[in-house]
Amino acid sequence: MVEEIRSKAKELLKTKRVDIIIGYKRASDGVSATPAFVNTVEGADELIWDAYCTYNLSRYLNDFPGKKKGIVAKACDAKSIIVLLQENQLRREDIFVIGVECSGVIDEEKLRFGEGDADRIQFDQRCKGCDPSVYPICDLLIKDKGRAKTPGLEKDPYEAVRKFEVKSIQDRFNFWKEEFSRCIRCYACRGVCPSCYCPRCVADQTMPAWFSKATSFEGNFAWNVTRAIHLAGRCIDCGECERACPIGIPLRDINKKIEKDVKELFGYEAGLSDNGKPLFASFDKEDPEDFIR
Amino acid sequence: MMRVLTKEDLKKLINSLSNSFEVIGPKEIPNKGVFYSPITGGDELYMGDSFAIEPAKKFFLKPSCAILSEKPDGGFGLEDVGVPSDKRVIIGLRPCEARGLTLLDKIFDAEHKDKFYIEERSRTTLIGLACDKPDRGCFCTSMGGSPADGQGLDAIIFAAEGQYIVEVITDKGREIIGSTGKKLDDGEQKARKSDKKKRHDSVKTKITPPEGLDKMVDNDYWSEVSRACVSCGICTYLCPTCHCFDLVDEERKRLRCYDGCSFPDFTLEASGVNPRPTKKERYRQRVYHKFDYFKKNFGENLCVGCGRCIRYCPVKIDIAAIADGARV
Amino acid sequence: MKSWEPKIVGFLCNWCSYAGADLAGTSRREYPPNIRIIRVPCSGRVNPLFVLKCLMDGADGVLVSGCHIGDCHYSEGNYYARRRFAVLKRLLEYLGMDPRRFQMSWVSASEGDKWAKLIKELVQEIKEAGPNKPGLRKRQDG
Repeated sequence: MVEEIRSKAKELLKTKRVDIIIGYKRASDGVSATPAFVNTVEGADELIWDAYCTYNLSRYLNDFPGKKKGIVAKACDAKSIIVLLQENQLRREDIFVIGVECSGVIDEEKLRFGEGDADRIQFDQRCKGCDPSVYPICDLLIKDKGRAKTPGLEKDPYEAVRKFEVKSIQDRFNFWKEEFSRCIRCYACRGVCPSCYCPRCVADQTMPAWFSKATSFEGNFAWNVTRAIHLAGRCIDCGECERACPIGIPLRDINKKIEKDVKELFGYEAGLSDNGKPLFASFDKEDPEDFIR
Repeated sequence: MMRVLTKEDLKKLINSLSNSFEVIGPKEIPNKGVFYSPITGGDELYMGDSFAIEPAKKFFLKPSCAILSEKPDGGFGLEDVGVPSDKRVIIGLRPCEARGLTLLDKIFDAEHKDKFYIEERSRTTLIGLACDKPDRGCFCTSMGGSPADGQGLDAIIFAAEGQYIVEVITDKGREIIGSTGKKLDDGEQKARKSDKKKRHDSVKTKITPPEGLDKMVDNDYWSEVSRACVSCGICTYLCPTCHCFDLVDEERKRLRCYDGCSFPDFTLEASGVNPRPTKKERYRQRVYHKFDYFKKNFGENLCVGCGRCIRYCPVKIDIAAIADGARV
Repeated sequence: MKSWEPKIVGFLCNWCSYAGADLAGTSRREYPPNIRIIRVPCSGRVNPLFVLKCLMDGADGVLVSGCHIGDCHYSEGNYYARRRFAVLKRLLEYLGMDPRRFQMSWVSASEGDKWAKLIKELVQEIKEAGPNKPGLRKRQDG
């Protein structure tokens, strides 16, 4: 696979189909991956692909305005690209999507705490809810011939959400109060998210200051609600926010909840097709309104 | 002075300290990691190999510290906020973090006397814990530290075969350790030296801090290395020596909140001009502040090699490799 | 000490709900004075952040009220609002916020009675819910 990615990247650069390839390369620790930005044919030899390539690279697509970009994309990244296209953040002709068949990425957090090691691959929880055969956009799909191990699909991707929903309101409040209390407001969840592309985030605005900048309960609660609600119908559950969070807030539990609601209420799923309008830029006359008095 | 403590001794020590001190130490939250937090009993203390995610800096420079607040009578205007004075002890602090505090002293306890920082420092006793297993991110020995280094600490604990050997460094440390445990034999004292060396050598990542960075300000190197940066605040907030802050007025208080040079709006001026408009300038600032400006002002690098920014960077940007590779 | 009275912020659309509340006043319908009204052009103007900010700054309840479906002065503003707040309401509940604190209603310009009845019920519900826990900011004034 790696060879195929490299030769395709070289071809795209040589023929000037793209100006830059956004892919993965080995990080300085010799084990993990780090994003690579390749603009020369020789440089393409540093591209890699394995279970350590966890990042959603579509986050970088808008870092190169006016340039033609090639991108190495997993199934989840491809969904992000769909969302960006749907929201007119990208032009289809400016990008070339090299799809890579992904069998799940590693959970580095588990490695760090010694629950697994590089040989016994621990798939990230997020990969268990992803069907990698759904590949909504790509110009070329590189198949994984040696595909042996897959995380396997969960029967009910919303099982955890359902279990949490039936808890008492006090239990739910206490759970999130505890989780949010550790938030350090580093905004890494925002930084890694491909859909968080606002030039000036509401969290940084001072006139008005929408919520407290302090690491208080109000500030942390408001930030996490704001992040989640702004991603409603746009989050494709790549799980990068949860992975990036240094203090381990289960952000995916919030994203999944919204995903489930949006599916139930409006039959909408993000990142499947760039034809339709985004969730909140459209409506249906028959949208449920049993909560309205 | 050196003493040998059994695990039981240490537990008892912590339990007895809780009566007269606010005790803080590493605590493990399952599946989340290790956090410095208040300890109520000896059983809670985590003495394993994992490092705390957040540095103990947060007890000296709080993430959000009220420096002025409304008058108690509700009158117009703000007044100074008092500083707590009860005694506190932090147990299980890593040597690199203590060294970080000695660097912060050069800023907050020098020309400008920051009463919040100074008070927090003087009411706190630091009992370190020497590292057994430095990880890939650690490079303290390249930055003038060591896993067994006592700089900035009042006492340091070495875990050794089911017991703890404590080296008392200052009077403050003596006050805490006192006569707990047994005195260390003279023969054992010699073994300490080789143990320290072994620990020192266990740090595998080695770098050469850059020299003459001011000659490469305009180098393309900075745009290359910063391209993957996602402009979050992990590296600065988790750094034991980063100390930039922002003043925020809210709820009739003036707060000093963490801020970091990696955020795009850190240098955004009211006019709309941003002197550090791209990731290149912002990342370069971080490296220069650590390895150039601070060194020019205080003769040392503002980095202790704790490896947090490497471990937790969401895209694995490695400041050690970048500093090492910054050559004209 | 005075007994606790809830503070409720109401975002009312200019064309229906605001006029409805006005009608309740001019026709001398009585309802509790716990609601502070903010007039907005349309329920579609209300940003979820407005609701969040009210709740975080100490409001005990928030009401968003607009025209009935089909009556929007701008044709479809309330359709968008309906979608948006359906998601927000469920999210806040999931995160442990009492569902009574955030409510939505359609009140037309002729429904002065409905408005008065709604506010009576709302104030009663929020009294039962008690002071807003997350927004624990103690403001001395009103």
